[in-house]
Amino acid sequence: MSIELKMAWRNIWRNPRRTLLTISAIAFASMILVFMLSFQLGCYETMINTSVKISTGHLQIQAKGYLKDKKMRLVIKDPEQVAKFLDTVEGIDTYTFRANGFSLVSSDTRTYGVVVTGIDPLKEAHVSSIKSLVRKGSYLKEDDETAALIGELLSHNLKVDINDELTILGQGKDGSIAAAVLTIKGIFTSGIDEFDRNVIMMGLKGFQEIFSMGKSVHEAVITADSLGDVSMVKQEIQNNFLKIKGGEYLAVPDWMEIMPGLLQGIQMDLVSGIIMYIILVIVVAFSIFNTFLMAIFERTREFGVMMAIGTTPSRITKLVMFESICMTIVGILLGIIIGSLVTLYFQNKGIYIAGTEDILKQYGIPDRLYPRLSLISATAGPLVVFVITFVSSVFPALKIRKLKPVEAMNNI
Amino acid sequence: MVAILAWRNIWRNPRRTIVILLAVIIGVWSMIFLGALMRGMETEMVRNSISTLTGSIQIHHREYRNDPVVENCMDGIDKLNQALSTSLDPGILWAKRVRVNAIASNARHTGGVTLVGIEPEKEAKISFIGKAMISGRYLTTEDKNKIIVGRAFLKKFNTKINNKLILMSQDTQKEIASKAFRIVGVFSAESEAVEKQFIFIPLLQAAKMLKMGDSISEVSIMLSRLDITGKKETLAAKRLTAAIADDTYRVETWQQLLPMMKAYLEMSGFFLYIWYFVVFVAMGFGIVNTSLMAIFERMREFGLMKALGMRPFQIIKGVVTETFFLLVIGILAGNILGFLSVAAISKNGIDLSALAAGAQMWGIPRKLYPEIWAQDVAVAGLVVLALGLLVSLYPAFKAARFTPTQAMRKN
Amino acid sequence: MKKLILIVGILFFAVSSQAQMTAETIVKKAFDYWRGEASVSTITMTIHRPDWERSMTIKAWTRGESDSLFVITNPAKDRGNSTLKAGKGMWIYNPKVNRVIKLPPSMMSQSWQGSDFSNNDLAKSDSLIKDYVHTLEDTKIVQDKKVYSIKSIPKPDAPVIWGMIKLKIREDNILLSEVFFDEDLEAVKIMTAWDIRMAGGKLFPLKWKMEKSDAKDEYTRFVYEKIDFKKSLNKNIFTRTHLKNPDI
Repeated sequence: MSIELKMAWRNIWRNPRRTLLTISAIAFASMILVFMLSFQLGCYETMINTSVKISTGHLQIQAKGYLKDKKMRLVIKDPEQVAKFLDTVEGIDTYTFRANGFSLVSSDTRTYGVVVTGIDPLKEAHVSSIKSLVRKGSYLKEDDETAALIGELLSHNLKVDINDELTILGQGKDGSIAAAVLTIKGIFTSGIDEFDRNVIMMGLKGFQEIFSMGKSVHEAVITADSLGDVSMVKQEIQNNFLKIKGGEYLAVPDWMEIMPGLLQGIQMDLVSGIIMYIILVIVVAFSIFNTFLMAIFERTREFGVMMAIGTTPSRITKLVMFESICMTIVGILLGIIIGSLVTLYFQNKGIYIAGTEDILKQYGIPDRLYPRLSLISATAGPLVVFVITFVSSVFPALKIRKLKPVEAMNNI
Repeated sequence: MVAILAWRNIWRNPRRTIVILLAVIIGVWSMIFLGALMRGMETEMVRNSISTLTGSIQIHHREYRNDPVVENCMDGIDKLNQALSTSLDPGILWAKRVRVNAIASNARHTGGVTLVGIEPEKEAKISFIGKAMISGRYLTTEDKNKIIVGRAFLKKFNTKINNKLILMSQDTQKEIASKAFRIVGVFSAESEAVEKQFIFIPLLQAAKMLKMGDSISEVSIMLSRLDITGKKETLAAKRLTAAIADDTYRVETWQQLLPMMKAYLEMSGFFLYIWYFVVFVAMGFGIVNTSLMAIFERMREFGLMKALGMRPFQIIKGVVTETFFLLVIGILAGNILGFLSVAAISKNGIDLSALAAGAQMWGIPRKLYPEIWAQDVAVAGLVVLALGLLVSLYPAFKAARFTPTQAMRKN
Repeated sequence: MKKLILIVGILFFAVSSQAQMTAETIVKKAFDYWRGEASVSTITMTIHRPDWERSMTIKAWTRGESDSLFVITNPAKDRGNSTLKAGKGMWIYNPKVNRVIKLPPSMMSQSWQGSDFSNNDLAKSDSLIKDYVHTLEDTKIVQDKKVYSIKSIPKPDAPVIWGMIKLKIREDNILLSEVFFDEDLEAVKIMTAWDIRMAGGKLFPLKWKMEKSDAKDEYTRFVYEKIDFKKSLNKNIFTRTHLKNPDI
């Protein structure tokens, strides 16, 4: 065993140029796969994090049933208790509370029915990107109670501008009438039409007063340290809060439940990515298959001699297979290393793709994309390359069994 | 002379030649095939969105797209008609529509919809609705209180054909207009969102309900053939704008109406060519490796040639010419294979319905018909040929550098 | 809408029961009896949900078939909030923001003040008369009084969401119940009236309840604290100016 391995290792360096080229091919394929997969996963993460940043957060705590039917009365009764608990949970980056109420919003000339959201200006700025989206006027201050932020398209439809007044009229939590005059302090543009057409935000305190919410809120919006921590945090909240401290009436939907479309889109895109990878792997496999096949043709004479001195064909086959495996492993390791380095470089610098701003904007993604290296993205592609290379080396190796020593030796 | 020699050379060792050819063929095939899949998807996506009420070109009141309310309608119908019929080529179809937001309700459900008043016969020829009826019947111009709705809408409202639906919207007098309609037909669309959003009634009824008189919300124009580059559309739109000569109207092509789609097309074209390059590199390693081996095998031959006075440049030329032939044959064969495989699947298309949930969301068609573009074939061929020749310089220089003694010593 | 109206109206002259009335006349008379020429009333509305209940006091003016004004007088917090229905339009007023807002179509199917009535129910108060064809199904004697069971089917083009309405009307024009069906003829909402007494000079049911047929613990109940039937009311009551400044 170890003799064969040694022999194989020496053999592959007998023709260093060919070996290097073969290894490069494998390394290149592995590298591309590592990078592409990291890029793809990175894009998804950016996409998820951006969508999450715009409104939903990674996870939310809300009353059971609120996700399906946003009824005013389905509230988190004691946000302070929730906050106390969330402060103790590992893996939570930050969180904020929000409340929402459907209202008639009217300017002098127009009236629309939209959802008004009460936000905590300080905390909200850490959880969502809203503060940076205000393009005109300014963001809310801590004590702003009757100031509002409004989406650019909605402001256009209502024909209002900064400092204009809006009347909101809805129903409070206790069924009473909620009415207020808000002054527009800022106009935001997220680039997502749906969002810019339907959202008005105001200070949470003012909201709670107008909508008779008392201390209650509708959503605790949580950002985890990273996307990978979401399930852990969710578990923690479920086990140690919802089940115990009188939190039975609450639920913890995560971003996948809040935005099922996003997950489906990602799955869809992943499938088309995989098709591309498969095609690439097939091309690489052919490339490598060729090299192996050629190498064996070239060495027919050598094998003839080996057989003539009594080496069994199966031993030669084994030897050749070891050679391929050695090359493949070296290639894959190189590929993983180079691929990871390239990925890490772009992970810091980001990739700018010209002409894609519009499309990215619509999904709320900034114009730079960041690949993200992970154990999966670094190993999944190379593993496939390994399997495929192995398979494509089997066929040429099997050809050796058919060799006849005399004929083989006559071969140039 | 060089060519004949090279041609003979490559067939001196057919096994090796075939191995190289195979690599090129597979590479080229994968480019053609993947390109065809992608283009097929793109065309189908554009076609879908265009037929989902966008059309090749639309005309609206200047303010309508920002603020699609009934006040922002167009009333100079005669002028529009005239501009349309004088500036468009015969054979180009168009239809008028009323399109406003409305509230639909029945006894148990209520929800927002887009109410579309259509000219049934004309509309059927220019948008998806003509072929989308899955049960019941389509509208006729004379229908008074008939409505067609989407399959998903039917399910959401838990209703059925022959049931009633009440529509409510704001009329031009700013009063609330409401009217009862009876569902006569159900349509299906590529996406559930479309099935839930749009409901259709005859144009005359919409205009009457909303007190619009002769005015309409939009004109949708369908050119006879889709030009995915949008040039034909832009040209036609320019002529229309000139013919209408009134800046309260705005004429826009699908590329302006669907900026996302345009951006997507540009981006995916860019990615395709990057991908071609990546595939070539994967394939290139095989080519270099194999031809390098071939060169070393023929070291004696090159040494001899040099000894006979052949200059290195001629040797390089010879080797590159051999590669050229291999590449050309490989590209041709790869193309043929690509065309054949595309032809084989384009008859029935590829069924993507397994992915339907996500696919619908992203406007990706349920069925995919691959489509070969001359442009992609040319790019794939050029990439392989140019880069193939470029990488063959390495073995060629190697061959040119063999000294006669070095070469003779081998074996 | 059919129901709220009921709450509101009354006729000046009691109509004696007639032996052979057509369904059409029975309904029309009952409608006129409730609605009357004009009325001024004070109502306590209670919205009940499984985990929650809320009451408010409303002062209501009605005139003819389609004009009405509702002003909330209690709780203090909501005092002065009012809804005007005049002709085809509906406006709401809130004293805090001091603005009159016309309801857009998108709000018409929303609930009125959180109750089991929609804005539309209020806006189309005369729909029962205008939009339905009525047939007499049977007549029973209950506590010495004849009670007509009437089936009302919407006219083909009528913009009403119901598939059918069933009414029970006592021979002295008092509506006892109204059941709303969807197009599959399954009951959706049920309104009942009881506690019939002399009020404002005539017999009138002082308690009303609207409930969902599949959720019996969700309902809205009206209790008339006071009702006065009048020959006429000043037209100016039903204007936007008065909406802002009602005499409550």
